[in-house]
Amino acid sequence: MSYFGIDRIFKVFQTMRSYGGIKASLYKLWRMDSLRPGILVGTDKYGNQYYENKSYFYGRNRWIEYAPKYGFDYDGSQVPAEWFGWLHYKTDLLPSQDPSRPNYKWMADHTENLSGTSEQYVPYSTTKPKIQAWFCKMTFFDGT
Amino acid sequence: MLPTLRTLGNGLRRSAGFGRLHTSAISRHDALFVHRDTPEDNPDIPFEFTAENQKRVQAILAIYPEGHKRGAMIPLLDLAQRQYGWLPISAMHKVAEILNLPSMRVYEVATFYTMFMRKPTGKYHVQICTTTPCWLRGSDEILEAIKKNLNLEVGQTSSDKQFTLSEVECLGACVNAPMVQINDDYYEDLTVQDTNEILNDLKAGKKPKPGPRSGRFAAEPSGEPTSLKGEPPAAGFGVRADL
Amino acid sequence: MLRTTLAKVLNGAQFSPKNIAVITRAASDQAAKKPEKIEVFIDDIPVKVEPGTTVLQAAAMVGVEIPRFCYHERLAVAGNCRMCLVEVEKSPKPVAACAMPVMKGWRIKTDSELTKKAREGIMEFLLVNHPLDCPICDQGGECDLQDQSMAFGSDRSRFTDIDHSGKRAVEDKDIGPLIKTIMTRCIHCTRCIRFASEVAGVDDLGTTGRGNDMQVGTYVEKMFLSELSGNVIDLCPVGALTSKPYSFTARPWEIRKIDSIDVLDAVGSNIVVSTRTGEVMRIMPRVNEEINEEWLSDKSRFSYDGLKRQRLVTPMLRDSKGELKPVDWEVALLTVAKQLKNAGPSVGAIAGGFADAEVLVAVKDLLNKLGSEALCTEHTFPLDGSGTDLRSSYLLNNKIAGAEEADFVLLIGTNPRLEAPLLNSRLRKGYVHNELEVALIGPKVDLSYKYVHLGDSPSVLEQLVNGQHQISKKLTSAKKPLIIIGSEVLERPDGGAILSAVQKLCAATNPQTENWKVLNVLHKVASQVAALDIGYTPGVDKIRELSPKILLLLGADEGSIDKSDLSKDTFIIYLGHHGDNGAAVADAILPGAAYTEKQATYVNTEGRAQQTLTAVSPPGRAREDWKIIRALSEIIGATLPYDNLNEIRNRLDEVAPHLTRYGTAENANFFKQAEALSKSVKSQIDKTPFDVKLKELQDYFMTDSISRASPTMAKCVQAVIKQKQSKY
Repeated sequence: MSYFGIDRIFKVFQTMRSYGGIKASLYKLWRMDSLRPGILVGTDKYGNQYYENKSYFYGRNRWIEYAPKYGFDYDGSQVPAEWFGWLHYKTDLLPSQDPSRPNYKWMADHTENLSGTSEQYVPYSTTKPKIQAWFCKMTFFDGT
Repeated sequence: MLPTLRTLGNGLRRSAGFGRLHTSAISRHDALFVHRDTPEDNPDIPFEFTAENQKRVQAILAIYPEGHKRGAMIPLLDLAQRQYGWLPISAMHKVAEILNLPSMRVYEVATFYTMFMRKPTGKYHVQICTTTPCWLRGSDEILEAIKKNLNLEVGQTSSDKQFTLSEVECLGACVNAPMVQINDDYYEDLTVQDTNEILNDLKAGKKPKPGPRSGRFAAEPSGEPTSLKGEPPAAGFGVRADL
Repeated sequence: MLRTTLAKVLNGAQFSPKNIAVITRAASDQAAKKPEKIEVFIDDIPVKVEPGTTVLQAAAMVGVEIPRFCYHERLAVAGNCRMCLVEVEKSPKPVAACAMPVMKGWRIKTDSELTKKAREGIMEFLLVNHPLDCPICDQGGECDLQDQSMAFGSDRSRFTDIDHSGKRAVEDKDIGPLIKTIMTRCIHCTRCIRFASEVAGVDDLGTTGRGNDMQVGTYVEKMFLSELSGNVIDLCPVGALTSKPYSFTARPWEIRKIDSIDVLDAVGSNIVVSTRTGEVMRIMPRVNEEINEEWLSDKSRFSYDGLKRQRLVTPMLRDSKGELKPVDWEVALLTVAKQLKNAGPSVGAIAGGFADAEVLVAVKDLLNKLGSEALCTEHTFPLDGSGTDLRSSYLLNNKIAGAEEADFVLLIGTNPRLEAPLLNSRLRKGYVHNELEVALIGPKVDLSYKYVHLGDSPSVLEQLVNGQHQISKKLTSAKKPLIIIGSEVLERPDGGAILSAVQKLCAATNPQTENWKVLNVLHKVASQVAALDIGYTPGVDKIRELSPKILLLLGADEGSIDKSDLSKDTFIIYLGHHGDNGAAVADAILPGAAYTEKQATYVNTEGRAQQTLTAVSPPGRAREDWKIIRALSEIIGATLPYDNLNEIRNRLDEVAPHLTRYGTAENANFFKQAEALSKSVKSQIDKTPFDVKLKELQDYFMTDSISRASPTMAKCVQAVIKQKQSKY
């Protein structure tokens, strides 16, 4: 069977089934440009799902499925710091399995890159305006 | 501070052998060519020609034709300096007022000529010539003697405002070198002893006799004349007979 | 050096030295006996010149430029920089070309080995004591010393002396808030000194000391304050005198230069506006022999920082609380249009001093379409007699350049030194070089030259008209008499009578030159002549009478009218570029463009139409003034028939053709008729003495909305006040 590659066709069907049918699979393919079978290893608090499939070669065998709330607006900065290491092969330990991971109260919540949005950081201008506008300071009533 | 740094730097440079430490020496004149208000010299100090000098002012002005009265500027400044001892800024203003000129035109002249003293000067202005002929005839010793006698350095004025010592260039009395000029008088053919004598006389309020100290009358050769001793030859001396 | 020229000025003698080459305008009546021309050879090119021409001038005639530092054609010859040394055949030494008159048959070699060697030597001497700070020098890039050392200097240095004696260093002088001095850079050309004493008439600069220690400066701690002081910056061939407001802001190679016209006085000086990154960096004079030669007054040169402050950048409307709030153009125009529609023909307009001819004609057309004739200028002019119908009665008829040819000038109620500094510099030139006599009726002011003060009483004018005054004889016997009357005295209630008296006085003079105009009116603001030409009524009395429902202020900031003169519900629209008195009382503000921001026509006091060019774009939402009026007219439904500059200029041409003949001053005529009409004036001159607003230098700097907004001008006023307290 494997000789003719028929097992691969089965695998496709299997994958599609695991994603919940043809429609859901097509949506996923459209959204993420790939359709891969994998094992869900964890979910972070923002709803991003992390998958692993050891049958792919190293470097391509871990991936993220961004939470549905992001829609098509997902980007790499939405990966929180604790998952970043696992996703980039800095460590093989999942965040939940890592005993040495610090966890303090004062640690800030992860924020994604806000560039290009209305919340982006804009420094105040340090240069003088070239033209100083006039504003009428006094409230003027006629002579009466 | 700066000279110390420079010496230090040069020392370092020599010992360490690295590149030169560039410093620019300051070329400095002994007189300042801008005016600074001081307690002795400021425009609030009044200056007025004395009645006698007023007449002199009129006489000086009369020399110059109408429209060229500004030619009287140097004589008037000199008159003011003789009256006051030196030339304060109020005197310059006075001269400008007499000549009806902007003050700047007077400042220009007063700063150009080195004989206008724009800072307080003593009663006796001792000017020693140290140009080559005087120097060859020993002006260095005379200068030392004056410094020692008056306890002054060149350019300084004594605290009792009696003496000012300046070093000047040739005063045109090379035949009678070495010499000093004290106010308007030349004292020539000096020795250290003569110098001290002159200065002590001045300190005592006496006026030493100006002129050569070697017994010469003026610039004639000391001792006997060596040339032009006989009667001058008559007219036609040495002329060709056929002319 | 330059002392000979001063002899006359300072001692009031009757002779002026003739041994100094001065460029004076060739008087037409001196054509009688011309001496024969002599031939000389410049680099073997023959040229025929007048006797007395210098080598440098002769060389310039054949297009050979001889390098120079101290020589300046408008100043006396000093001959002290020695850069102009050239070889003359059979002369043992090189000759200073700027001071040496040519002799017959001279063969001058401006490119020979000897000449080159002399130039290299002089450059070497100059550079020995010149600091190597070109990279941080404001003159860098437009420096005569840089240019000439590149062109004529040696290509290698022999200067190895730095350890031994060092370079000369001179302390900087504080000569005021306009001029920055770095005196170590000075090469002692003495141009600034000569300018100060010859042109500006302020003998504050000079040289002190001698030899290597010579300094240019004031000797005492005194500022060089004059209404023309900025010109020494242009004159300085090196970076010793640079502009303080401009210091370290821009480099000459990164700025764009736009030719324009100055509007801060009525002279209409030609200027070059230098801009960088959409900002005016500086203003410099442009040569125009007819108007400003190459000088520029300080207010015109330095008040450009006023263009960056207090600007109206967005339309504003007064809200229900009485506060001015920024709004969009749409809202502003619709509101204004609604008010205009409701008001019908009850509309008035007052033109201020900076209004250009385009907006003046647009407003006039709009108001006429609405059925109103209430168009006024802020500055009054008498309407009695011929009034403003004949141009001759409100122009400086004899032209600015003509002033220096006069032999007798009577000034009435004016201080030309502060009202029109460049006219005064012409008068001073005539006084110094041309035996000009000046008499003044009005307050005693410092004109920078000697004059006969006739008192400030109007009775003197009456005596003169009757020919009873002691100076009457001089006036009638003068070959080229001029009477210059300030517009300020004509603003008095008895202005008509004064003008009529002056016209009578002019008729009594006997000018011996053809086309010599005796009557001259000196205006104070740039817009007045254009407004009168277009047909505005001088003075705001008409507005007071009518009390219109809507009043349009075209940059009228002098407070000639205030709210108490108008009815309570008058809606005031302010169209202008600065927030000043006018904007403060306005109900609606339409931000316009300043003179550096628009292409606009101005007519100066001699009736010469000139145009400004756009140097920078108007700030924020401000727009060109006439375009605002055009847009407004469309909303009202009375669309003005011009859509672009050419079309509105065609309209200007229809109204008064001289308004678009840029650069030429059309002569006014009908002097006789104006004089005849003036006889109908029956009113009497009252006894109030003549007065002028600008009496002393501190009054000069802040006179209009631009200069009032300028921090530099404020510093100048402070400096003058400080100088007054000084002992020098």
